[in-house]
Amino acid sequence: MISADVVAILPLIAAVLTAAAILVVDIAWPGRDPIAIGTALVGLAITAVVTIAVGVNDATAFGGSYKVDALTTFLDVLFITVVAMTVVFAPDYLLPRSLPIAEFAVVLVFAMTGAMLIAGSADLLLLFLGLELMVLPGYLLAGYHKTDGYSTEGAIKYFLLGSFSSAIFLFGLAFVWGLTGTTRIAGIAESLAAVAAGTTPLSAGLAMGLAFLTTGVAFKIAAVPFHYWTPDAYQGSPTPITGYLSVGPKVGAFALILRLFVEALGPLAEWWLPVMIVLAALTMTLGNLVALTQDNVKRMLGYSSIAHTGYMLVGLAAYAAGELRGLEGLLYYGAAYAFMNLGAFAVIAALQKRAGVTSSLSTFAGLGRREPLLGVLMTLFLLSLTGIPPTAGFFAKAYVILAAVQAGGWLTVLAVIAMLNAAAAAFYYLRVVVYMFMRDPASDAPALRHGALMWGGLAAATVLTILFGLIPTPLLEIVNQAACAIAADPCVAAAAQAIP
Amino acid sequence: MNVTDLPILSIVTFLPLVGVFAVALFPATYTRQVALGFALVTWVVSLLVLVGYLPGRPGEQFQYVEQADWIPIFGIQYRLGVDGLSAALVVLTTTLTWISILASWKPIQTRIKEYMISFLVLEVGMIGVFLALDLFLFYIFWEVVLVPMYLIIGIWGGADRIYATIKFVLYTLVGSLLMLIAILATAFAYQAAHGGSWVGAFDFHTLRDFAATGGFSPALQVGAFLAFFLAFAIKVPMFPFHTWLPDAHTEAPTAGSVILAAIMLKLGAYGLIRFAVPLFPDAALTFAPVIIVLSLIAIIYGAIVALVQPDLKRLVAYSSVSHMGFVTLGLFVFTEQGVQGSILQMVNHGLITGGLFLLVGVLYERTHDRTIAKISGLAGRMPVWAAVFGFFVFASGGLPGLSGFVGEFLTMVGTFAVSPAAAIAALVMILAAGYLLYMYGRLVFGEVSDFVTGLGDHMTDMGPVEVLTLVPLATLIVVFGIQPGLVLDLIRGTVDDTLRSVSGAAALPVGNEVVLIGLGLLVVAVLARVGWALAAGRRTTTDVAISDGGAAR
Repeated sequence: MISADVVAILPLIAAVLTAAAILVVDIAWPGRDPIAIGTALVGLAITAVVTIAVGVNDATAFGGSYKVDALTTFLDVLFITVVAMTVVFAPDYLLPRSLPIAEFAVVLVFAMTGAMLIAGSADLLLLFLGLELMVLPGYLLAGYHKTDGYSTEGAIKYFLLGSFSSAIFLFGLAFVWGLTGTTRIAGIAESLAAVAAGTTPLSAGLAMGLAFLTTGVAFKIAAVPFHYWTPDAYQGSPTPITGYLSVGPKVGAFALILRLFVEALGPLAEWWLPVMIVLAALTMTLGNLVALTQDNVKRMLGYSSIAHTGYMLVGLAAYAAGELRGLEGLLYYGAAYAFMNLGAFAVIAALQKRAGVTSSLSTFAGLGRREPLLGVLMTLFLLSLTGIPPTAGFFAKAYVILAAVQAGGWLTVLAVIAMLNAAAAAFYYLRVVVYMFMRDPASDAPALRHGALMWGGLAAATVLTILFGLIPTPLLEIVNQAACAIAADPCVAAAAQAIP
Repeated sequence: MNVTDLPILSIVTFLPLVGVFAVALFPATYTRQVALGFALVTWVVSLLVLVGYLPGRPGEQFQYVEQADWIPIFGIQYRLGVDGLSAALVVLTTTLTWISILASWKPIQTRIKEYMISFLVLEVGMIGVFLALDLFLFYIFWEVVLVPMYLIIGIWGGADRIYATIKFVLYTLVGSLLMLIAILATAFAYQAAHGGSWVGAFDFHTLRDFAATGGFSPALQVGAFLAFFLAFAIKVPMFPFHTWLPDAHTEAPTAGSVILAAIMLKLGAYGLIRFAVPLFPDAALTFAPVIIVLSLIAIIYGAIVALVQPDLKRLVAYSSVSHMGFVTLGLFVFTEQGVQGSILQMVNHGLITGGLFLLVGVLYERTHDRTIAKISGLAGRMPVWAAVFGFFVFASGGLPGLSGFVGEFLTMVGTFAVSPAAAIAALVMILAAGYLLYMYGRLVFGEVSDFVTGLGDHMTDMGPVEVLTLVPLATLIVVFGIQPGLVLDLIRGTVDDTLRSVSGAAALPVGNEVVLIGLGLLVVAVLARVGWALAAGRRTTTDVAISDGGAAR
């Protein structure tokens, strides 16, 4: 008989066991990459199954510090998928540079465990623990190519600013704990509800704590003006890792935001709403403007990921203004963004299979002729990132915008800003398409052969990108449940709304 | 199973998509044949729709309606239907698609597969726009059109194609993304007024009926109308949103120019008639004077700028701006003749300008130069071309007996009923005759220029296939010129619907919110323009191409 506490954290246990298994396999058969990758994928699959099985019933564990709800399950499955795809995309890039794959997979799975811990935290300490467990492997990964100067430089910048922001975040946590007397998220929400209702005044210390928390989180999601680490870290890291860094820790940090801002600080939503509006507007505008001038595709995607953070923040702001749909939109956007962005990075990684190939725009010259299939897939991912139907990126954007329009007022203005940004973003995304299809190849290098893993992963990303655009209903229902799990107001299942 | 039970509209919309897969799978040697085959079959099916459509059937303006739930949470449906206007434009689309594919037979020699796939995807999008009766679905098709045209201009276009194609995409995208906000806001307003039920919130008919009962607040009407209007005005293109057009037209390959002029400009006009006016009638009335003035400016300005164009394609492009001005003018005077003339002008412009671009393409294939000044004396070298070109030039100039005349005449009659400003438009007919005849005279008559002599044997007359592409257009121009009733009967229902939707409307008082929202959009437009100038920094885009014209750039 296993106790209910252990059942609740079975997904985490499965994830850690997966990492351990890869380590053992690598020791037993050193250098046998297919076995390591196989172990990783099987382990991740088992973890996913366990997560879904455990997620059937909501539960809390360890005295209420950890909980399983629809949001936990949704985010966990998303993290697992992201990591599985990263593992699949990695060999094409890592092997030619003789970087080991098994260690890569292990570190990645540990990072995933951290993200999963965030997703299920009901306690500030656990939240912080999860955050650190998620980002520490990230620093390692960023510097994974240790003989490469850019990789090391990016890793150090990432590490310094990451630690810095973690410290700020922790400082904020201390204030909040000291002044509310609890680290439980539900408890904090309760005492803040009293503040919001006006029965208790907001103390200066608490306000400062909240400011620190916001700053720390803004660093983690790379919101402007706390984004400086992103482009260097993204450009320097080995490409499959950049893909992961632009998706995994980002969605993980949004999980943190959901648990912290939506749940714990939910009662004060009206107070942080203006902050989110300004952050969102700044983040997407600056991210896009700078992306316009980039000649390196990885760096460009780095800045564009900042812009995407801005779009997701629009959803959060819409929620703060009282629209549950904003939260759903944020989650939908997160999922859509994960697959289209991973897909785009996978194509870059595939191109870089030939060692020495950079990720500058000229690498893409004539790709449509050299490797038509890769060119078409890249175009699809870029169109999705732009938000052209019928792709996941389009529906996600439309959904966030709908939430903003529904919230009205300043959010409508924010929606207009977001759409103008999307139009500007088209310029730099489509510039890659220009290079791929409208320029001649720079050299007559023969087409590369890509492994079955790469094609399989690309196929999965493609299918998901199109599926979430054409048939959004299933995912909509899932994000609706997930959003309902943390919403302040009682939730009406979306399916029920449709009935006249 | 009865033939009428078949989902014929879905078939006509997605047959080209089947063609895409067929082209992709068949060996490259048959690419052209397969694409042409699918285009022809689609054309035949669209003709069946047209023949089967019964104009004036009471109470059933839209026919062959197909309906299925798509995203039920938001009441978004897959809903297609056809009325007289849609039927006419769908047939125009399918006709020009096979003509374009035929016209690309020889000129396009590189990456034929990709080219044909782009064309067939483009056809799916265009037909879908004309048939969609759900705003969300409409928006999807609207955006689907963008990508293949982007590729067609960017890959197979002229020297400055990349600049032109990115400009085209960005202009269109700014408009359409704002329209997306307007669509969502409209749906939300409907949902809020119906106790949170999304059923019908994106459905054209429910929304139209809701609008007719004054359901939408003035603020929403103004904001949403302006957003819709901006999206459509960019596509039409109306002055001052037209600057992408000359670049795109000039750089696009022949068939791309044909489709751009003949169909894609109609997407904008169609959107105005189908959605912008019926959904926001009060706002449409409010802004009608402004739009009429803009239309008149477009008519005059387009003609004047066309007069000084040294480049043949740019000349035809600016004449498009002028001619499309009649479409928006006729629509927004809201008289029966005006709207009839507007729709007729849409069809005619498609036929005539499509033909003109085909002919320019035929010439360009031989000369590889479009500078009017270099070419003269073609009457002796290419007599058939000169004759056919003369026919289309006269049609474009509005020669009575050909279809161009009827549309412009009706528009002006409709406008006179409202304001004597129509006289200005009538004067432009003289300008049009000026630039067209001057251009024709320079090209066709006079001494054979050295440039043409230098081309020697390249200057062959039109071949049978090239003539074949122009025969259907010429025939329709004559038929509609003599018997415009054919089209007028078909579109009577649409005209009545449009007029009915504005008959109960009243112009909104120009209060604070109208001014504010208008100003807001103005700021947005200026910002977008500045953004474009920054992004494309090194380029200046003057409307009047100087000295060597666009070709040399």
